[in-house]
Parts: sequence; C-alpha cells; structure tokens
Amino acid sequence: MLPLRGTVLYIIYIMMLLENKFYKVLSEKRHAEGLGASFHVAILPECNVYEGHFPGDPVCPGVCNIETIKECAILLVGEALRYTSIKLCRLTALATPAVCPEVDVDVTLEKTAEGYEVQATIADAVQTYMILKGQLGRA
Amino acid sequence: MTTSRAINKIEELIPQRLPIMMVDELLWAEDDVCACRLTVREDNFFMEEDSMLAEPGVIEHIAQSASAFAGYRAVCEGATEPPVGYIGEVKNFKIYRRPKLGDVLTTTITMGATVGGVTIIRGITHAADEETVAETQMKIFVRED
Repeated sequence: MLPLRGTVLYIIYIMMLLENKFYKVLSEKRHAEGLGASFHVAILPECNVYEGHFPGDPVCPGVCNIETIKECAILLVGEALRYTSIKLCRLTALATPAVCPEVDVDVTLEKTAEGYEVQATIADAVQTYMILKGQLGRA
Repeated sequence: MTTSRAINKIEELIPQRLPIMMVDELLWAEDDVCACRLTVREDNFFMEEDSMLAEPGVIEHIAQSASAFAGYRAVCEGATEPPVGYIGEVKNFKIYRRPKLGDVLTTTITMGATVGGVTIIRGITHAADEETVAETQMKIFVRED
C-alpha cells in the first residue's frame, strides 16, 4: 500500500533569493515556546556577491544578512513574507565568510494583523553580527 | 559644494563592483545633500523571479548612494580610491512598494555629522513619477586604512 494513499501533497513554492547561494541551512531548532527557531547556516564563500563586495576583500553585505533573516522567517512559517519596515537593525560586527563560516540565525515572530513582527539575531559562539527588529508582511 | 567636478564613472566614487553595484550615477551634490540614480535592470543581484527588487536591495541602493556622496567628497579632496564604508545601523526603514524592472529610482541623501568615523545619513527613494518608494536613516562606518 502506498504510504501517501488518501492524502494530498501540497508543494508550496516560495521565492528564495539567497538560499543555497549566499547561505545554506544546515539545521533548524524550534524554540520551546512561541513562534521561533534558530537556524544554523553556512555562509557560502563561493557566492558571486564577493566578486563585488569587495574585490579581493570579501565582506558579507549587511543587506544579505537582512535578507537571510527574512528567508529564515519564511522557512519557519511556510508563507511568502516581505519586509514592510525595519524599526532598527544594528550591524554589531563585520561578518565575512572567513570570520564566520557558520552562524546561528535566531528568529522570533509574533503574529500581527498584516503579518509578523520579527526579532532576530545573527551570531556565532564568538560574537553577535546583527540584531534586527522589524515588520514582515504577507506577500 | 556642487558637482563642479565632472564624474564620468560611478566606479570612481564607490568601491562596490558587479554583481552588487546599486547606483548608476551621482546626479548632483550640493552642501550636505546629493541625489543618485539607479535603473532597475534584469541582471540586478536583488531581482526576484517576479521582476521586482527584494527589499534589502533598496537598502543597499540607499547605502551606496551615501557611499557615492562620500566618494565624491573624497575625490574632490584629492583621493584616488573611493572610501570603503559599511552599514552600521538601519533605522526606521519603510518600504511602500518593491521597485519593478525598468523603474528609474532617484535617491536623495542628506548627510549628517560624522563623529568617530560614523556618519548619520537620511535617504529617500522616489520612482520616476515622484512616488516615494522607500525611506530610511542609516549609520555608515568609513574604514580608515
């Protein structure tokens, strides 16, 4: 007997700009309480963004980390989301593929009428690279 | 300060290179204000499959507009290489719609004081029809080599 007999399999396709290009999710751990998860991701040094940012001096563009947070939120809830606002985003340390080849992207979401309020950090065992508070709307 | 010195190439003003060049030209600069332009093209790094620009691409465009302004000032003072700056903080970023393929974005940068290598800037991005697309405040760190 087919294991999927009698079930309907939905495949939801959501655009991801940077997944498996700038970063790759290695593992995901849901928060024990609330809507949130910590994504352990590899920063991919072969991403073509480093050809231009900066030539011979690869530095992770802060905006790519901002996009990575959004894409982790999408992975968490399984629906397409976009930033409508960012109240505050602090880039607290310079991230490069050499300095932080793997980081933890911790995302906490709270439902609102239009989507989600997001609070996130990007950090490794040594330091925090980004702290972000903003609003994600349903796309 | 006005754009008395002709700038032919944006590469003279910003350190970013393809595929992440998010400013086409510095239109003008006067005192603490400048304007930069970007045409949204198919090969933009932040272009999504629906031919719209992802929101962080607009933040990068505003940051690179500020970078071009800093580069213009540095070139006017005799620098041969554009300064390398990093975004230190994004505050009160609001995006009203994603730019679409073919949009011509004009961003006005107002540069505040620089203290300890950190400059506060304010950027507002309009589409060709004067519609406001996005606005933000930022802190930019300039690397001292």
